Parts: sequence; C-alpha cells; structure tokens
Amino acid sequence: MLNLQGIRDMFAFWRPKKPPVPFAVQFKKFEMILTRNNAILELMADMGDKLSGEYVFDGQYIISACERLGDLVFKLISDLSVLTQRKNVDLFLAFESIQHQIEEELAGRHSFPNASLTMPLEDLNRDVSEEAGNKLAHLGDVRNLLGLPTPDGFVITSKAFFDFMAHNDVTRRVEEGLARLDQGALSGSEADEGALDALSRDIRTRILEGEVPRPVAQQIAAMLDVLASRHGRATLFAVRSSAWGEDAEFSFAGQYESVLGVPAVKVLEAYKRVLAGAYSPEVWRYRLHRNYKENETAMAVGCQAMVEAEVSGALYTYAPLAREEDAMVISATWGLGAPVVDGTAETDTYFIDRTPSHAVRSAEIAHKPLRLTALAGGGTGQAEVEPALRDAPCLSPARIQRLAQTAMTIERFYKRPQDVEWSFDAQDVLYILQARPLNMQPRQALSCPDPSMSVVDATRNAEVIFSGRGTVVQHGVAVGKVFVARNDADLAHFPNGAILVTHHTSPRFSRVMRSAQGIITDVGSATGHMSALAREYRVPAVVNTGVATSLLKTGDEITLDTTQNAVFRGAVQELCRFELTSEESFEESAEFRLLRRLLKRIVPLNLVDPHSEQFKASACRTFHDITRWIHEKAVEELIEVSERHWHRSGATQRRLTSAQPLGLMVIDLDSGPVPSPEDRAVSQEELGSVPLCALLDGLNQSGMWSTEPMSVDLGSFMSSFTRTFSSASAAPGKIGRNLAVVSHEYMNLHLRLGYHFNIIDAYIGERVNDNYIYFRFLGGVTDFMRRSRRARCIALILERLDFRVEVHGDLVVGRIKKLPPDRMREKMLVLGGLIGYTRQLDVCLREDEDIDLHAEEFLKRITPLLEVRND
Amino acid sequence: MTDDSKPGGKTRILILDDEPIVCKRLKPAFQKAGYEVEAFTDSASALSRVEETRFDIVITDLKMEGVDGMRFLTRVKELSPDTGVVVITGFATLDTAKESFRKGAFDFVAKPFKLSDILDTVRRIEEKQRQDKGLRAG
Repeated sequence: MLNLQGIRDMFAFWRPKKPPVPFAVQFKKFEMILTRNNAILELMADMGDKLSGEYVFDGQYIISACERLGDLVFKLISDLSVLTQRKNVDLFLAFESIQHQIEEELAGRHSFPNASLTMPLEDLNRDVSEEAGNKLAHLGDVRNLLGLPTPDGFVITSKAFFDFMAHNDVTRRVEEGLARLDQGALSGSEADEGALDALSRDIRTRILEGEVPRPVAQQIAAMLDVLASRHGRATLFAVRSSAWGEDAEFSFAGQYESVLGVPAVKVLEAYKRVLAGAYSPEVWRYRLHRNYKENETAMAVGCQAMVEAEVSGALYTYAPLAREEDAMVISATWGLGAPVVDGTAETDTYFIDRTPSHAVRSAEIAHKPLRLTALAGGGTGQAEVEPALRDAPCLSPARIQRLAQTAMTIERFYKRPQDVEWSFDAQDVLYILQARPLNMQPRQALSCPDPSMSVVDATRNAEVIFSGRGTVVQHGVAVGKVFVARNDADLAHFPNGAILVTHHTSPRFSRVMRSAQGIITDVGSATGHMSALAREYRVPAVVNTGVATSLLKTGDEITLDTTQNAVFRGAVQELCRFELTSEESFEESAEFRLLRRLLKRIVPLNLVDPHSEQFKASACRTFHDITRWIHEKAVEELIEVSERHWHRSGATQRRLTSAQPLGLMVIDLDSGPVPSPEDRAVSQEELGSVPLCALLDGLNQSGMWSTEPMSVDLGSFMSSFTRTFSSASAAPGKIGRNLAVVSHEYMNLHLRLGYHFNIIDAYIGERVNDNYIYFRFLGGVTDFMRRSRRARCIALILERLDFRVEVHGDLVVGRIKKLPPDRMREKMLVLGGLIGYTRQLDVCLREDEDIDLHAEEFLKRITPLLEVRND
Repeated sequence: MTDDSKPGGKTRILILDDEPIVCKRLKPAFQKAGYEVEAFTDSASALSRVEETRFDIVITDLKMEGVDGMRFLTRVKELSPDTGVVVITGFATLDTAKESFRKGAFDFVAKPFKLSDILDTVRRIEEKQRQDKGLRAG
C-alpha cells in the first residue's frame, strides 16, 4: 500500500505540472459539491414523495421539478470538473443522454423506442404498458424487478397491432360499423345484438385473412430466431393477449384468446387469432357496456416459450371466501394449467396462511386421471396421468412454501391481492406465467360492513410500540416478524416476508428489498440511497426513528402503518386488508405514470458498489448514479490532494501541542496565514475543528494512550513505540510528520504512531446527509498473523460501532455516514480511543481467541465514556 | 340559487382545478372524510353550478385555461359571502396570495400539498363557520 503510494508519488514528479489550485479553493469546491449533492437528493426524494400518495400535485409541478433537477446535476458535474481539474467528458455525455430522455417524456413521447414492433421480455416493465399491454408489462416487472422466473419470450407491441389494423383496412371498418350501430347495441334490442354479432364476424374474418405487415413479420421472425438459439428449434410457444387495460381497471378475465403449443412457423397465424379475439361479440359487448372507447382498444400480444409443466395452477393471495380469513388458495393439477383456469378439470385445492410460515390449513386432493400437455407437433392434448399419481397431491410442502412466498412477493409489490398463474417444470423451476390484481370488493375481504370503522377499532385496541418517530420514506402497511440486521453479513439470513430493522440505512439493503415487508431504522434520512430503493420496490419504510433496534428484537411480530406512522405489537390484519382493498385510482392517472417514468431516469441507483468495475462515469444511467459517482470521486480527490500535494497547497501548518506526543501538524483552512514562527503552535483549545477535537477528546478521556494493554509479552520492546514515527521504521514514504487538514466541519488526518498508520477523513456538520467518517488502519512490526489478528480485532470493534468494515490482510477500512452530528462526534471519540488502544495491540494477540477478548475489553472501557456524554 | 346545503348534515364542497389529477385526488379523499363533493375541471361548468346551488366550501386553482380563478373566487363570494374559499395554486407569489385574501379567500395553499394539509384547512373553515353561526344565533 505504502510502497505503491511511494511509486505513484515518484511518477507524479514526471507528470506535466499544472499550476496547483490552492487547497482552500479546492476545499470550497468540495463543500459546494456536498451542498449541491444534498439539494439533488432532497429534490429527488421530494419528487419520489409525490408518488407515495400523500401529496396532491399537478403537471406543472412535474415540469418545474425536472428543470430544477437538470440544472443542479449539470452544475454538480461542473463543480467536480473544477475540483479534479478534469473534463469529465463521460459524465457530461451520460448527463446529456438522461436529460434528453427526460425532455422526450415531458414532450409526451416515450423515450423508450416507441417505434418498436416487438420487445423482448427483459426490456419490459410497468412503464411500457402502452407498448407491451398490461399483462406483459406486469410480467416484465415480475421478471426484471422482482427477479422471478417467467417463460422466455417477447411481445408484439400495440404499435404492431395498429399497423396490422391499418394495413388490412380493419380500423376504418370497425369505426364505420360502430357508427352504424350507434348506441343501439347498448340498448340490448335483439336487432342490434344481431348487428353487433354480424359486425364481429366480419371484422374477425378480415383479421384472420389479413396479412401481417412485412416489418412486423420480420421482427417477429427475428425474435423467434433469438429464442430458437436459446431454447432450440422445436420450442413451442404460448401466444397470449396483452391488451390495453386488460388486468387493470377492467379485468377482461379469460375473455381474450390464448393459443398454446404454437410451433414457430405458426406464430403469425396464432397472432392473428389473438387479434381477432379482441372482436368476439362477448368481449366487444363487455367493452361497450363499460364505456370503453374503441380507440382505447389495442392488442399487444405476448409470445413465450411453453413451460414443460410438471404441475400448474392458479393462486389467489386472498381466498375469496369469508370463512377462510387471511388465507390464500392454490388450485393445482398435473401438466399445463389451462384446465385449472377454465375450470374444466378436477384440481387439488390448498388453503394456506397468508403469513409466514404459510402453514397449510387444508388440502383437498382430487382424482386427476388426465393432464393437458403440449404436443410435439403443435397444439395441446390430453394425456393419461400415471396411476400412482392420479390421487396423489400434486404439490409437495416445499413447493407450496415456495409458491406462497413468491406470490406474497408479488402482492407486496403491487399492494393488491394477486391472481397468479404458475407452473413447476421437471427441473423444479417455478415459473410465473401471469400475475394480475385480484378484484376484491372491500366487503369480501372484511366481515365487518364498514372497513374504515373496523380499522379504527383494530388500531385503537392494539398496543403501540412507538409512533410519530422518524421520517416516512415509503407509505404502506407491513405486517410481519422483525429481523434485526447488525451488519451486512446478517442480511444473508433475512427471512422472506420479514420486517428489516437496522441501526442505519444502507444501499446494501437492496439485496433484501424483494423479500422485505417493511424497513425501520434508527438513523438515516429520507434522501439517502436506501430510501430511494425502498420507493422503487414500494417497501413501506420509516427511517431515523432513533429507537427501532432498542425496542424491537428479531422474531417480534409487529404491524407498521406509515399512514399513522406507528408500530403496533402483533399483527393488525385489518390495516393490511384496508390497504389491499382501498381504492387507488391515483396510480392510474397520466401524471402519476409520467412522474414514475421520469423518476426511472432519475432515481434508480445502478452504481451501488464503489469497488465494482461498473463504478465508472460512463456507466451512469440516472441522475442518482451521477450524483453518487461524483460524491465518491470528490471524497477520493480530497483525500488524494491532501495526501500528495499538501506541501504546495499554500496553507500554513501549525504544530499541535498535545498531551500525547502525536507530532501533529495542523492546517486549519478556516484560519488565515500565521504571521510569525512563534505562533506556529496551536493547542487543542484553539482548534475549531469538530472532528479533530472529538478525536483528541477520545485519546485523552479514554486514558487508552497510557494504558498498558493486558499482558504485554515484549514490554521493553514496546516502550520504544510510545514515541512517534522515526525515519528508521517501517516502510518508506514521505510522510515524515503527522498531518491534519481541518476546517470547522472537516478533518483529513494522516497519523502514524509507532508502526501503525491511520488515515481518517471526516466531515461532521449539521446536515446529516453530508456527514461521513472514513477510517483506515494499517500496522506492522510483529509477524503477519498477529497483525492480521489486530486488524480483525479492530474490524470487530468498528462493526460493533456500526461502521461498514472491510479487512484486507492487516488493512482495515471502516466507513460510516449520515448520522446526526452528536452521533458522529461520538464515533470520532471512539476512534480516538481506538487509535490509542491499538498502538500496541498486535503484540498481545497471541491466539485467535484474544481477538474477541480485546474487542470486548476495549468496548467495556469506552462505553462508560459514551454514556457520560449521552447524559 | 337554491340553498340546499348540508343534506344530512354533510358539508358540501366544490373543487375546481383544470388539471384532472387534482380533482381525482381531492374528491375521494374528502368523500372518505365524510364530505359531499363535486369536482370540476372546467370553470364554465363550475360557474353555472355555483349559480344554481350553494356550497359551504369552494376549493379553486388560480391559474387555469379559460377562466381566471380570481374571477371565479369573486363571483362565488358575491353569490354566497359565507362560503369559505381555499385557493390552491402552483404559482404562489406573495402578490397573488394578498389579492386572493383581499377578495375573500379563507386560505391559500401552494401546490403540491399534503392531503392532510388541505383536510386541516377545510376543518378550520368549518370551525369558523360554526362559530360565525353561533354568533349570529346568539
């Protein structure tokens, strides 16, 4: 590490020299970046809040917010360019591209390639429901956002539908035919009914005999080729409707056509059959009766590889039976699932608890002599079920569990009860074929006549664990068991459907977003990265409660209701039901959808891990990515600048007179030039730097400096280390003195004590979002095993104090951010103590067991100090 | 203009905003809270409705296509001085706020706003209307 640094510095000498920018100027720029970064995060959060359902906003708001945001991000990039003295071309290009997409959306043009005639499933999500139709757009979310397997495939878009209809002159005929019918068809007179039937026949014939426009046919062929290359030429397809409005405000359940077991050569034919299905007399009447405008009819068509289903069926996340409260129901049969949905086959029926562990309440096993199967040459046919399986349950307990968990993942996301069609194949992969909202009347879900009254009663009787604390970042209701995560490693054990309770927020929680019911944290802000993630995944979340980890423990059953911002003991199912059945037409409004699409270009964070290769300017796909990248680079830059160029930075150094021989030179950015050499000493009392003072307090008050670590076996050897670094020791490098660059809120400290080398870069101000501490420890002299034990000991201590920690050999890096200033000062105090304590630690870590022992010892000694301060 | 206000004791609210989403959000929220609500996106229909019947509370945007919200406010107050008017606008300036107060608006709420804020405002109007009635009766 140090060697590398030394080499880098050597080469730096040969680089063409730019005139150095005074450090004070760079630091000002850095502060400006923090300020703007904060403003951007807040504006993004503000816009995201508008989707939460709590605010009333209009189109004008959307336009002006986008303008402000674009302006801020542009200026932020410019700030970074000044700070780093680089042009940041990649960053500006990324910005231009995002900005262009936003302008297109605002102008009413989907920036998604809206001329596409086909789109692969991996590109689909709810924001392209106009192109892909509702069914496939939802399936896109299920696959791409929730990460659940769906059959591979593509959609033939509504654009292709319009092209087909125009190409074959059907559009005009539909319009003319309807004009002739006028409103007569709605009167229900027999003559009119007959006329609609005749029109329907005519239109369907024209569609079935029509020609698929060449560009559409070509694109379909190209998509089929891709699928054939993945799954083989013999792949059969399911060709299904995905119309506008289908599965949304109108269910059209089962009224549109699906064609199963279609070989590639017959996909065009099946496509026309599905299009024609949109004009059957039944479905047409259904539309007319619901005042569905004819120009709102658009039939996108999904084409997906057939699953070689071992067992299939449907699952309702809310059983539509009053006697089965809070249960879901699964219907299942051998083979393909069509007979289950049509109601043409005997099925096994399972009632299951909605709540984990999803216990099976009842299982009714039917006699199932036949199964539907895709035929090799195309189409489907009945086959006999093996005698042994005919009366056997077609779902194992393990599969029931998986189904239940998967369905609840989907329901949590859509915040509506779901009707899920699924299949297990022979490889035990669970495929989601379709997921649509289950239309439930509020009364169906509630035995009580007035849902709002029952909610009022239920919450009045429940014990409130805490309420009115912290900031709501995503609205909703979560009922489940608490899982307290102390560190990143704990997340690996996060149970599906639990409520995540943590001390701090972290973008690393993205890994549990899909399975979390809710999130409650002690600290954190609404503008943080995690909050954006919670909104993206619609996970009800409250941050900065201050008390979550102290009042809640793993396994507690609780109900979080963000509308009241309260946490209740136990499961208040009434709240959950009220939420699942409440009317929410807001989410169907054009403004809501526009803002959502815009936020897609703004909020998602793709650059999560600074150590990943993808953490680069050209990989920025959203404004959030740009902001995150700049923040990281700005901190890096400042550390680097002070590390390498302090000697020509123009700031005046003063020597700290302290109780411990630290040999610390201080550059105070807030103070002017120091006139005479006599003034070049500064005492701790004269320092205005919050982080440095807290650190020195920790060194002094902990008494760790003078404390001999337990059982020093090389006592005489150690005594030499109580002096500061001398040129004879350790690795080469030019840091002959210890250095701190400070301002009131900032400290960049390079401290070598004995053979240990500490770097701390910290910012502690009033704005929680700006606050961070970066701590790096590297030490030596004893054998490698002992050094790495010391590193692990420090890591353990830091983790217990909520730092995010990395250990590489004997290098320890700890990071913490976004805590209120008093908490940040506390962390600095601890670091002060830690620096003192660990000076000699490696010599006494003879066994691995000593690691825990010493970590405990340190925490025992430091804790009283914190408690005193907290009083 | 007939005075058929408060059938069954419900407070009657008229909402006028040319952006449908505002009406879509406000109408069910007030209905859930127990109010009787009519919502309009064009000022002509809203005007003819207030000519016909009296509302306890009117919530109106200021800048709309067609009719100026300020004129709508003025007309409402002419027809029914007791009606409490809440002005909602995205172009909140001190001057427009002052003018709407001078023309008799009860409160001025800048968009975007929280549902709970506007519900609170309406409850305050009701409170004041009850007090005024009490005074008149006394």
